[in-house]
Amino acid sequence: MNPEKTKRKAQVEDSGSAEAHIEHPDLQDPKVVLSLLEADQVVAAKTRSRFGTRNLSVGARVLLWSLRVYVLIMLVIVVLSVIRAVHMGQ
Amino acid sequence: MSRSKDNRRVSAYQPAQPTTESAVSSAVARELAGLVTHEDRDRARDRWRVARARRRRSGWKSFGGVRLLWLLIGPGVLVFLGENDAPSMLSYSATGARFGVGFFIPFVVLTFAIGLIVQEMTVRLGAVTHRGHAELIFDRFGKFWGFFSMGDLVLGNFLTLVTEFIGVRAGLGFFGIRASIAVGAALVVVIAAIATGRYWTWERITLGLAIFNGLFIPAALLAHPAWSQVGHALLTWTPLPRGDNAEILLLILADIGATVTPWMIFFQQSAVVDKGMQPRDIAAGRLDTILGTLLASTFAIAAILATVPLFHHGINAADFQAAQFAQALEPWIGHAGASLFALGIFEAGIVAAIAISTSSAYAFGEVFGTAHSLNRPIREAWPFYLFLLGSACAAAALVLIPNAPLEFIILTVNVIAVLAMPPALAFLLLLVNDRDLMGEHANGFWGNVAGVSVTVLLVCAGLGFGLFTIFPKLLGG
Repeated sequence: MNPEKTKRKAQVEDSGSAEAHIEHPDLQDPKVVLSLLEADQVVAAKTRSRFGTRNLSVGARVLLWSLRVYVLIMLVIVVLSVIRAVHMGQ
Repeated sequence: MSRSKDNRRVSAYQPAQPTTESAVSSAVARELAGLVTHEDRDRARDRWRVARARRRRSGWKSFGGVRLLWLLIGPGVLVFLGENDAPSMLSYSATGARFGVGFFIPFVVLTFAIGLIVQEMTVRLGAVTHRGHAELIFDRFGKFWGFFSMGDLVLGNFLTLVTEFIGVRAGLGFFGIRASIAVGAALVVVIAAIATGRYWTWERITLGLAIFNGLFIPAALLAHPAWSQVGHALLTWTPLPRGDNAEILLLILADIGATVTPWMIFFQQSAVVDKGMQPRDIAAGRLDTILGTLLASTFAIAAILATVPLFHHGINAADFQAAQFAQALEPWIGHAGASLFALGIFEAGIVAAIAISTSSAYAFGEVFGTAHSLNRPIREAWPFYLFLLGSACAAAALVLIPNAPLEFIILTVNVIAVLAMPPALAFLLLLVNDRDLMGEHANGFWGNVAGVSVTVLLVCAGLGFGLFTIFPKLLGG
């Protein structure tokens, strides 16, 4: 395993169990708050970070377009069935 | 409050992929310490309680384990009991009244198993990325696909919300309560649930309401079901439904749409994020989802069993609405049973109205970069709460318009849910297979087999519906 990852994992475990020992954590203290959350759980960090657009393969693009066309055709069919139901009701 | 404002305030922190690194040991901990919000504090309080329960736990059977499960259940149970909504319970009731005990009992169990496969993926996505589904789609696939996906969600959610208020109105209508009072009372409950400014409290209030979905169980018991027939049906999938093939196909579609819908994906992932779940909570998230599946499928089968007397007495329930079901059942399950049935429809509508309007508001906040958490006070996240209440009020108002085409809306809602599901599933599968995001939590081989099978099944169901509509005589309709 990557030593850096192992070290980080240990830090996370430590911080979690250490805070669990505190019976009444002072959540006005930002350090206590940060010790209980993962880095990209903090609102300020999360709103800043972006995962970035991924490159879609040709197959994935064909799949998404096919399903989009499928939905549009099906919506037309739903409208048709509603119109038919209205006429039958009348 | 807004994303752009936060962007200006934090300059150096742009991770390319999710991390389990503790915020306090991150490179920008000092910078973040000055930007801690009310939402962060509430979430940290929830995490502290989970960490304490986890430390005291020596196994799932110990008190600590039960306490930990109590703290971590919520999104999974809520999403499934929320999906046992007014139109869904009416679909199940119509199924029982039309076909009795038989094929549809195990079929409904199968649809819930499908729902479980799909929803488990949202638990992993939310816990690992800490992002809602709409936000991830915009991030990874860009605005073009993001807005398409949002269009499906907003249209489906609004129509479904309308049907929830129809359920509320019809359920209380059985007791002679006026529509405006019934709908107004439902809106007051929605407001009360969100007014606390705390995800945890909102979740517990909604869970407390959702458990009343179990009202269908005593209603079913009062119908005195033949348990040997139920057991036989579960094991053999028989007797098969007979009669109008087109009607059977429509009920199959409606029952699938009653269990698997796009809003469930968006809602559960956002709720997992708002609850603050982390990768180490995924096992508990799975248990939460399984528990929700078991409860919801039991209550759905109870709704089918409650209306079986209508099947035995040859009463045509094809055009029944909630209040009419309760009235028609009264001679067979008594006034108490009929009242429980009507209250069950009311409850189903109100819980789903809370969950679906919250789902729409989460997606709105995620897409437009405004604060989107039930842990935020109203003054900090007013666009989120305004959208939540606005969508609920608009749907409620539509229900009160005289001569509005409510029956047609109910007719199409579950079908639209089935039709919109394959693209939503495609995005879900692409995201949950994205190893840059998910790492070791990405889908395995069997997860993909299950996901692709569900997608193909839904596409086939939709195509069957299309063929029937265009060529009604194809199925003898």
